[in-house]
Amino acid sequence: MSGTDRPSYDAVIIGSGISGLVCGSYLAKAGLKVLIAEQHHQPGGYCTSFVRRGITFDAAAHSFGGYRENGIIRKVFNDFRLNDNVAVTRYDPTDVVVSPDSEISLWSDLERTIADLGSSFPDEQDNFRKFASFLLKPDPQSFAGMRRWTFKDLLDHYFRNDKLKSMLSFPIFGNGALPPARMSAFIGAKIFTEFILDGGYYPEGGMQRLSNALAESFQHFGGELLLSCPVSKIIIKNGGAAGIVIGGKMPVSAGSVVSNCDARQTFLRMIGKKHLPLEFMNKLNRMQPSLSMFVLYLGLDQEFENTLHAGSNIWYLSHYDLEKMYQSAARRSPSSIDECMVRISPDRKNLLAFTNTSFRNRAFWSDSKSTFIDGFIARLSRIMPGISQHILYKDAATPSTMYRYTSNYRGAAYGWESTTAQLADPDFRRPSFIRHLYLTGHWSTQGLGIPGVAYLGYDTATSVLKRRKASLSQSSPE
Amino acid sequence: MKENTLEKEIISIIADVSGFDPGEITPEAKLADDLEIDSIKAIEIVVAIEKKYKVSVRDEDVPKITTVSETVAVVHKLLNQELATNVRN
Repeated sequence: MSGTDRPSYDAVIIGSGISGLVCGSYLAKAGLKVLIAEQHHQPGGYCTSFVRRGITFDAAAHSFGGYRENGIIRKVFNDFRLNDNVAVTRYDPTDVVVSPDSEISLWSDLERTIADLGSSFPDEQDNFRKFASFLLKPDPQSFAGMRRWTFKDLLDHYFRNDKLKSMLSFPIFGNGALPPARMSAFIGAKIFTEFILDGGYYPEGGMQRLSNALAESFQHFGGELLLSCPVSKIIIKNGGAAGIVIGGKMPVSAGSVVSNCDARQTFLRMIGKKHLPLEFMNKLNRMQPSLSMFVLYLGLDQEFENTLHAGSNIWYLSHYDLEKMYQSAARRSPSSIDECMVRISPDRKNLLAFTNTSFRNRAFWSDSKSTFIDGFIARLSRIMPGISQHILYKDAATPSTMYRYTSNYRGAAYGWESTTAQLADPDFRRPSFIRHLYLTGHWSTQGLGIPGVAYLGYDTATSVLKRRKASLSQSSPE
Repeated sequence: MKENTLEKEIISIIADVSGFDPGEITPEAKLADDLEIDSIKAIEIVVAIEKKYKVSVRDEDVPKITTVSETVAVVHKLLNQELATNVRN
């Protein structure tokens, strides 16, 4: 040890997104002394809620998946008895895709989805069954064999109808920010499985309940959670991560450092170029982040009548060209808000809608936020005529807001862009050039959404524990 | 390259990705069942192999890699092909 009286932990975690919370909970439960340092005043990252005029709004994540019998979120709930504090409801249908010609409802009951598909796509019913059964079959090697496939390749393999392929791709575009021809089949398949086939779950009271329950469980096992404590530096000693500096002045020692924040912030700001191999630096500079999003929050009066399924994620597309949507999202203007997702809260008091959008810069968003809000409301009026007369409260999160609360590079909604070329470089999870350093969450590899990052948090905890066990058995006795 | 040197290197890659100690990894070990290799890690192993040996693993070969020794065999074959190509050129 250094001989100073600085606080010392077995592991410190930078950031309390779902991945950091899950990782911390498993480490604390295993008996490690763990600290999580979070810059924001509440835990959760993109899985947070806020209250305005007595109405609870979810900031970004608005439902979760992976809660089936062997799902990762179910495992986390069981391992930490989260059901004691959080009531989970599944809204059905989980997702509805509305195109100019037809509507697909994705139900929790697969057979019901397939039966419904018969009204617009009778020739594809059997293909959908085969597709779903492939996705739900947990065979790591067959998934690994698709590492060069795009999601389009995968859909082409199973389906014939181009309109159906676009409709099935649209929630994947919304939840992964890439059109099928650009998105890795692996990630597209994961999103379809975890968000759609096993999605639509909601913690009653808001998404913050999930993050809070995890934070409480972490603390219950002895973990320390520091809020409003941005980390300025990762301490590197003898080629290994040895701790962090909080707020530029408080050094903390640690056996392992886990970063659950943006990869560029982790490597470039907290670690520094001098510790990074040139080849890795070049790769980091070439990596493309995913698009950000523009999220609209509306508080609605109780006189507003609409027939939308409350609690379902409803996806609207006005044409079938997802490549065009992607291009349009990259140059989003208030008058070009078109494809979007809408979710009415189960109590019908609020509405969350979002559309994929590029970052631009802070000045752009502070100048144009209100015209985007009006543009989005105008778009929603075409779906729900008269809605503008029933708005009690309106606000929005721009890509700049996303950045401000989470430090995600360019307000990225889903970490690195999920292309095949950017898939699975182990150096982004466990950098080979810095020992005792781990990254977890959507910047560390291709795992996104609440189930994806929860899995990475669990897996990172397992890695930390395995390596710790190995180094303890090697270093004793002295 | 000698096959036992290659085996050591492949075990080291699998150890890095899986978190298991190299000493715990036997040639017969099953990637999914014994070493907890999930689909992301299976891809990570293939990506790490391609990066280290500057080879390209074919999609149809990936499902064949279910044990440590099968991984070694696939890389061994690829390196020999590479060598043969270089000699021809």
